Amino acid sequence: MSAVLTVLMLLVGAYLVAVLEGWVSTGRLRPAGPITSGLALLGRESVVPRQPDRIFFEVAPPLLLVAALLAAAVLPLSPGLVVVDLATGALFVNAALAYVMVALVMAGWGPDGTYAMVGGFRFLGQLIAYSMLIVMPITAVAMRAESLFTTEVVESQAVLPNAVYQPVGFVIFFLAAMGVAFLPPLDLPTAPGELAGGVMAEYTGWRLAVMRLARAVLVVTLAAAISVFYLGGWLGPVLPPWAWSALKTLLVAAAMLLAGRYVPRLRETHVLEWGWKIGIPLALFNIFYVGVLLLVVE
Amino acid sequence: MVQAVFTGFFGLAAIWFAVVVFRTSSMVRSALALLFSQAAIGGMFLAMQTEFLGVLQIMMMATEMAIMAIFMVMYMMDPGGLGGMDMTHQKRASQVAGALGALAALAVAFFAGWGPIAPEVRPAEQVYGLGIEIMERSMLIFETAGVTILTAMIAATAIAIKRRGKE
Repeated sequence: MSAVLTVLMLLVGAYLVAVLEGWVSTGRLRPAGPITSGLALLGRESVVPRQPDRIFFEVAPPLLLVAALLAAAVLPLSPGLVVVDLATGALFVNAALAYVMVALVMAGWGPDGTYAMVGGFRFLGQLIAYSMLIVMPITAVAMRAESLFTTEVVESQAVLPNAVYQPVGFVIFFLAAMGVAFLPPLDLPTAPGELAGGVMAEYTGWRLAVMRLARAVLVVTLAAAISVFYLGGWLGPVLPPWAWSALKTLLVAAAMLLAGRYVPRLRETHVLEWGWKIGIPLALFNIFYVGVLLLVVE
Repeated sequence: MVQAVFTGFFGLAAIWFAVVVFRTSSMVRSALALLFSQAAIGGMFLAMQTEFLGVLQIMMMATEMAIMAIFMVMYMMDPGGLGGMDMTHQKRASQVAGALGALAALAVAFFAGWGPIAPEVRPAEQVYGLGIEIMERSMLIFETAGVTILTAMIAATAIAIKRRGKE
């Protein structure tokens, strides 16, 4: 039951994200846009490029979708509404997100195209920059909750959400999440205008539709993760819990999409340099800071 | 029963993907087959209710094997495996070694005394028990060393790169 509801919420979220993305990138609000373009993609021929690595080419779009869905499966929408409440939930989110990179490397290698290949390997480089910045802030979040259960992480924020309690971790995780979802300005693997779509360049028709859906679901999943880890998930006055989860998730997704509108695309070297020279020291500081707060202040 | 079926299924998947590693000539396929073999071992851990180990295995291997793939593509002459390059060598010796290794593993599996089956342990206790089992009292030392090495890595990267515009 909760699996069906979660998938339904994800689909609605993905639709809204697609509308928002169209709005920020073209400046026109078209509520029917995702549906018409989705139908158009389904109606078109899905071309298979010459000499592909067929297995990778076919597996990559579904794998991207599965990775996003698996990560969403451990994130609670409301106290009872979580597909599986794993004892290692917070770690599992990260494990599932690692397969986003595997899917993109497959999509890059599979079609035997230059732009796709460059895009795939770029994302592997991007992973080196962001992956530590996903894990280390989660460590600090788990330290406060004294648990890896995502539900207990939410409950630990009853008094003060983590975004206020550990703002450094919040900012780092937010930016790293944008890196995972390859949203502008970190859209290096797709890089429209430079790589002509990169990892998505060789995909057409229904395969591209699956890929785009997977990307939208991924954005929703990451926004949900931020709302669970840092914004207190379902907690809030007046409105029912699921409404708070949905509202927070949508607001975070909108913030992620808006941020990309005003910042030019970063260079791969800069992403790596800033990730390692600034991001990791700050994330270590965040762990230390939260440790001091937990041991000394409380 | 269900547990045994799933453990067996993931075990067979791990073996199958491990075979695929050597049956393909494409470096990327080989690396990703190894990834899925390792992920299947993570699945076995999950089926055996060692949740933490399973999730950890599935998480770590994705990154490690992808990075291995990029190094294999960088350093091999024929990363796509289209040139029909034969990478096997010392076939007889490896066959003998493989057969002996398999026999040894089977012998250990059947003849070792495994003791009674452990009762169900909560994941948090598993993590604690695992930490004590591996590191005993040196936990703090290992953790400190880990952070120190990471700091050293960042520092080394920072000094290794020349600043642009100077010099």
